[in-house]
This record gives sequence, structure tokens and C-alpha cells, in this order.
Amino acid sequence: MSERTDTSAHRSFAVADVRLVTHQVRYEQMAFWINRIGAVFTVGFSVIFLVMLGASAGNSRISYLGNIKLVQYYVPAFVAYGVMSACFQMLAINLVIRRETGLLKRLRLSPLPTWVLLVSIFVSTMIVALVQVVLLLAIGRYGYAVPFPQSWAAFVVVLIVGIVSFSAMGVAMSTLVPNQESAGPVTSVVFFVLLFLSGLWFPLKANSGLAKFSNYFPVHHFIEAVAAPFNLQPGVSVWAWHDLLVVAIWGVAAFVVALRKFRWAPRRS
Amino acid sequence: MPAICVQHLRKAYGDLHAVDDVTFDVERGEVFALLGPNGAGKTTCIEIFEGFLRRDGGDVTVLGVDPGQRHEQRWLRTRIGVVLQELAVESFFTVRQVLERNAGFYPAPRPVDEVIELVGLREKADDKIKKLSGGQQRRLDVGLGIIGNPELLFLDEPTTGLDPAARRTTWELIRTLSSEGTTVLLSSHYMDEVEALAQRVAVLARGQIVASGSPTSLGGRDQGQVTVRFQLPHDVAVTDLPIAPSHVDGANIEFNTDDEVVVLNRLTHWALEHNFALAGLSVTRETLEDVYLALTHQSADPSEEALHE
Repeated sequence: MSERTDTSAHRSFAVADVRLVTHQVRYEQMAFWINRIGAVFTVGFSVIFLVMLGASAGNSRISYLGNIKLVQYYVPAFVAYGVMSACFQMLAINLVIRRETGLLKRLRLSPLPTWVLLVSIFVSTMIVALVQVVLLLAIGRYGYAVPFPQSWAAFVVVLIVGIVSFSAMGVAMSTLVPNQESAGPVTSVVFFVLLFLSGLWFPLKANSGLAKFSNYFPVHHFIEAVAAPFNLQPGVSVWAWHDLLVVAIWGVAAFVVALRKFRWAPRRS
Repeated sequence: MPAICVQHLRKAYGDLHAVDDVTFDVERGEVFALLGPNGAGKTTCIEIFEGFLRRDGGDVTVLGVDPGQRHEQRWLRTRIGVVLQELAVESFFTVRQVLERNAGFYPAPRPVDEVIELVGLREKADDKIKKLSGGQQRRLDVGLGIIGNPELLFLDEPTTGLDPAARRTTWELIRTLSSEGTTVLLSSHYMDEVEALAQRVAVLARGQIVASGSPTSLGGRDQGQVTVRFQLPHDVAVTDLPIAPSHVDGANIEFNTDDEVVVLNRLTHWALEHNFALAGLSVTRETLEDVYLALTHQSADPSEEALHE
């Protein structure tokens, strides 16, 4: 029947690939929203946390943080949570389950190019993160009178660095989890312990023991980096370069692990 | 040119030679079966042909290209269909959704409705996949394998775990695809499946081909001995029989012969003449299963065989 028709076929692949990304992103999004558990843990949690904590404790003042209202801290903190939850927690769990059940292998054996699959998963993850950012900013602004970030430029840069870095960490995490049964528990325990130690619910006092410990991990730095563009304390820069750098270093390290350890096929075979 | 051409294929996992010097061709349009017990190397072979695994040695061409070459894989995967063992599909999607998604991966897919019809899932098209029975999910697997309208279809144990009715339905589907001109490479450890579907078969054991040919001629089966069995009437002695039997076990009499016509003629003539009944008379040729067991046993590791004895 047909014989291979060289380079022209390859070129027409390239044109169709961009359309293929849109096609695949659509189904990645459908999968996320139909499969409600992921939506509850990311979008549901971040929105409910902000609404509840804002209503119950939002008006207390933080003496060691320029006497700002707690809810002013919670808006950037839960923006950070939303991004990390989508990119790290959900992506890691999703990849482990897809790898161990053979979903990744099945896609690998289809003509869908590897880069289209990976880009589609990343774009879909980003959409989930951004949906939360928009919701949280709106709830903060219209529910609790927390102003939008003062520097949108800084805010966008932080989001980009955070989404890319935590996605890399999510992929790396997925390579460390051996089977689908432990994907949810292991990833969530790691994530929530880090969140707790990193001041998601209570801002850490600078130079406290906990702050020194959590300084080694990216979660605390990312919360700080998201908070900076809101300019909660006058006179402090909206660019938290140091925090961003730590997040980026974790991202690069995770990327190296992901490249070396990523697998398509279930471990059992 | 054959659809698949394999010469001296080798693949090892550490010390284990999963595929050890395998050579065969699959002609275009035929149903070719790889038959063998678990761990014989069937899946390894198939995954090499799909370009999923790298081979350690030998030559392979699939539809004229080398599946080990990265730049050929994209093209190849638009022309082949794959039905693997134990690969999940997103169970929260409907049958139609997942077929529509996968159709989007191919330059010239089969219409989704046609595939749904072909695999017999019209009633279930808008049901979530998790609500399908095992047999229906397996048919969806085949549907996903043919959605790209492949020239060559790989079926890795397509009926393992199915009930007899679901197996028959899957067989019918494979026959339909074959009659449309699709080349099929089938792996199986069911002898009846190979007999029902394949024009040619290669028996794999411990990574090597121990026999190949048509299912009816495998291992000289068409020329082999025939066994005639019956039970001796109470009042008749073995010595009264017109010909000497090969085995006697109480009343059970067994003749092994190359010429069953002569044996039967003499036995029935004798029985009619004396008005005896030949209770439980049967005439059997070696089954494919006998041949298969003999073949795969012969190739067993001698040290392990000694252990069993």
C-alpha cells in the first residue's frame, strides 16, 4: 500500500502539530474537570481556605509584619498554594497514575508526538493554576478589600517562574513515587508538611527556627515571592529576587531529575 | 515487500535472553500468530516492532522502515495500530470521547461512528468507560487500535481474560479486519485462538522460535499418528481382537497408527460380525495443544527439566 513519502510528510506534520496541541489540551482540561477529585483538591481547596480563613481570622493584625491584616497575607499565600497545588501536587499524582495504569504508554504508542503531549499537559496545568489565581484575586479584592498586586509585571514574572519550577518539581516527584496507590498519600503528605512549615496558614517570623528550616525549601520562598508584588509593607521591593532564585534553583534541579528518571511504562512490567 | 521482516532479532534484559535470534516474515494481508507461554518473548518482540523497545541486535523492518529509528517512528505510528495487554484508558471519558480524541492524532482516521459500529459498542457509545464490561472494554481497546485506519495491527493477547462469548465476538472482529486487508500480528497463548484466526504461526519458547508453519501442519501434526480408542466388551479377550493394540489399560484399548482407515475398517468389520459394541470409540489426531506442549517442553532448559523429574 502506501510507501513513505519523505520530507513533505514531515513538514506537514509540523504544521498540524500546533493544532494537535489545542486538540490535546481540550481533552486534558475535560479530564481534569470531569475527574472532580483533582478540581476539589486544587481549585476547591484554595478558594474555600481563603473564604473561610478570611472570614474567621482575616481581620487580626500581624504585629511582626507591619501590622497588616491577616487576609492581606492570605490572598498571596493562597495564590501560591493554588499554583503549587496544580503544578506540584496534582501534576505529580496525575503522572504517576497515568504511568502506572499504562495511559502514558498508550499515548506514547500513538502518533501523538511526545513534545505535543508534554506541552499539552503543561498548558493544561497552567490553565488550572491561572483559573485559581483569577478567582483568588477576585475574592480578595471584592470579598475582603485586598488590593490587586501593585506591580503586575512582578506578579506575572513570579507566576511564570513558579508555574515552570513547580511543574518541574511535580514531574520529578512523580518519578520518585513507585505506584499509583501511594501517589496521592505520599505527594500530599510531602506537600502539606512543607506548606505547614512554610507559613501558609501563619506567616513565619523572620529568623525563627522554622523560618531557618523552611528557607531550604522552595515553598516558603514562593509564598514570599508572590506576596512581594502586593507591596504589603511600604519600602520593601516588589521584586523578591532572592526568593525567586531559590524557587528557580529547585526548578532546575527538579528538571534534571525529571529528565533522567522519567518513564513511560508502568514499573510492574 | 513483507509487512514485517525480522532477521536474527535479539533482546536481553541483563542475563535473560528475552528474544534470542528470532527470524520470520509477516506477509501483507495475513493473520500471523506468535504463540508461546508467558515469558516466551512475544510481547518483547511486538514492542520492538512498535518501536517502543530498542533491540540489541538483528534487523527489523516494519512497513519498510526500521522501527528503531526515531525519525521513522512518527510516520510508522500513523500506519500501525496497537492493542496491548493491560493498558488503561481514561475511565471517566465516554467511549465516543476517547475515540474522538485518539482520532485527532492521525492524519486519516476512520470515522468514529464506523469504529463504534465495527466493535459493536453502538449502544454504549455515550456511556462512561468505567461502566463497560471487561469484554466491552477489550473491544474498545481494539477500537482504539484501529481508529487510525492502520495497515498493520498488533494484537497482544486480545482475548486474555474474556469469557467465551466475548472471545468469539473479538474473533469475528479480527476476521472482519483481516478481510478488509489489514495485516494482523497476533500473540496468544490460546491454541484454539491461533487455529481459528491465523494463516501462519510461529511458536516461541524461551526467546526462540521452536516451530513455524500453518496451524494445521505445525510440528508435522497433519502427518502425525492417529489414536483410535474404545472399550473392550466384557466377554472378549484382548487376544480375540483382529489386530494387536498399542496399549491396553484394563478394558481401555488404544491403537496408534499412521493408517487409521485400515485399523477402523478391520475393527468395525470384526465388531459387526460378532455383534459387539465398540463403547466409547474415538479417533483423535494430535491437537495443536499437544504439539505446542511438546514443542515448548522440548526447548525447556535441561537443568530445569532434570529438577522436574
